[in-house]
Amino acid sequence: MTVRGVLKTLSPLFACIGLLCVWQIASLRLDTESFPTALESIKAIPSILGDKGSLLNILDSIRRMAIGLVLAVMFAIPLGLLMGRIKAVAAFFNPLMMIIYPVPKAALMPIIMLWMGVGDVSKILVIFLGVSLPIIYHAFQGSKAVEEKMLWSGAAMGMSAPMRMLRIVLPAALPEILTGCRTGLVLALITMITSEMIARQSGAGNILFNSLDMAQYDTVFAMILIIGAMGIIFDAAFEKLRLSLVRWSQPRDDMPLSFT
Amino acid sequence: MQVVSLRSDAHAESEPLSGRKPASAMIEIDHVSQRFQTSGKQSHLALSDINLTIEDGAFVSILGPSGCGKSTLLYIVGGFVQPTDGVAKVKGKAITGPGPDRGPVFQEFALFPWKNVLGNVMYGMRQQGMKKAEAETRGRKLLEMVGLKGYENFYPKELSGGMKQRVAIARTLAYDPAVLLMDEPFGALDAHTRTRLQNDLLDIWDTQRKTVLFVTHSVEEAVYLSDKVIVMSRSPGSIKEIVDIDLPRPRKRADLLLDARFQKYIVDIEKMIDDGKDHL
Repeated sequence: MTVRGVLKTLSPLFACIGLLCVWQIASLRLDTESFPTALESIKAIPSILGDKGSLLNILDSIRRMAIGLVLAVMFAIPLGLLMGRIKAVAAFFNPLMMIIYPVPKAALMPIIMLWMGVGDVSKILVIFLGVSLPIIYHAFQGSKAVEEKMLWSGAAMGMSAPMRMLRIVLPAALPEILTGCRTGLVLALITMITSEMIARQSGAGNILFNSLDMAQYDTVFAMILIIGAMGIIFDAAFEKLRLSLVRWSQPRDDMPLSFT
Repeated sequence: MQVVSLRSDAHAESEPLSGRKPASAMIEIDHVSQRFQTSGKQSHLALSDINLTIEDGAFVSILGPSGCGKSTLLYIVGGFVQPTDGVAKVKGKAITGPGPDRGPVFQEFALFPWKNVLGNVMYGMRQQGMKKAEAETRGRKLLEMVGLKGYENFYPKELSGGMKQRVAIARTLAYDPAVLLMDEPFGALDAHTRTRLQNDLLDIWDTQRKTVLFVTHSVEEAVYLSDKVIVMSRSPGSIKEIVDIDLPRPRKRADLLLDARFQKYIVDIEKMIDDGKDHL
């Protein structure tokens, strides 16, 4: 790898270190109790992750997030694909989506809590709602954009309509779907934390707000760091998975070929 | 060479009155009309009362200006579009939808971008239930035939237009359709690539003798490739003339370009198209 290549790979790390430096300096200058330094906050991380109760809380959050995300994916992809290929389905769901889309799903949380309690069900439901819409939207766009002639080619090979949906529309729309899933993943993390801040019972969001109540500011900032790191790790892992699934849609370096 | 018999209404009148179809008719188009709804109450007659019979093993081109419905006619035979009136038949059976007896090749290639070259060619065979090993052997053989040996693992995105169309042709030949439906297959290619693919298509046709229905707007291409050229006019789309191309096969481009008969076919057909002012 060239020097430039190395620098490019490490650039997020530099951004990270830069931000921490700014934080450290700002905190030292302001010198208030409610703004601990970066080093103090980082030092507080091991005690959180070392505490069995906190760790279980964080794992609980991840579990809820995963369930909400998987349910949303299982619901949103088929719906989006159908909307893209069947006009009647799109005509029914599109106006519905237009209304639901701009509503912050966390705003529904109080009502959902009222009906379903403060437990897992409410939180998973909010995550599910928050994540579904972008995935539906991207699956819809991807499915709509599938070339008619590609489907005709499949039909001429003797593929039935459901078969074409599964074996042509789904793979053809996959790059677009995975873009939606990536947005969905980050949204799942956001809604997860938000739901736990509203329905404070367990989870990473709960630890954060409890420590805020008890003025343990280093723990508050450590939790922000942990949650942020979770987001970065999930996103990077998903991006890796995405690239391996849709390598065919990425241009290769040794282009172009010229031969008739 | 006389392998095709085509009938427009005018021709049909001179034939003896009998319900019997020619024994080897591959495609029969019987009073087919196609009307498309445009905005509001308007509708547009894309095809008006088309009658046509194409015999097994014939290479027939449909030629005409854009908007004459030549592609629509091909899509009707493919079963992708249902005619408003009339019936199209393949091997005597009414066409109700697409099927592996009629393989399309489109100007847009329509390859599966998530499959590599070999995967694309194997796709139809696998759909037909052929075993993987068998499909792979046949796929490799077909790729060699279309000149793409060594490109099995490339993805469509990495190929030039000409190579993509070669893959598309191999993919369609793979499931062995009786009829090849080619919709301006070389229309998006540069002149040099186009000539090479025309020659290769003729070579393939010489060995496989499939019935080919070939839509083009190039007079030269139609005359060079075909046994018969169907000249269409538009508004409404109808058959204007059917021209037998009586040139020896196998055809060599270099010889034909100097051949007065070849030149005359081109000039005559161009005149037919001009008479209708269809070039406007």
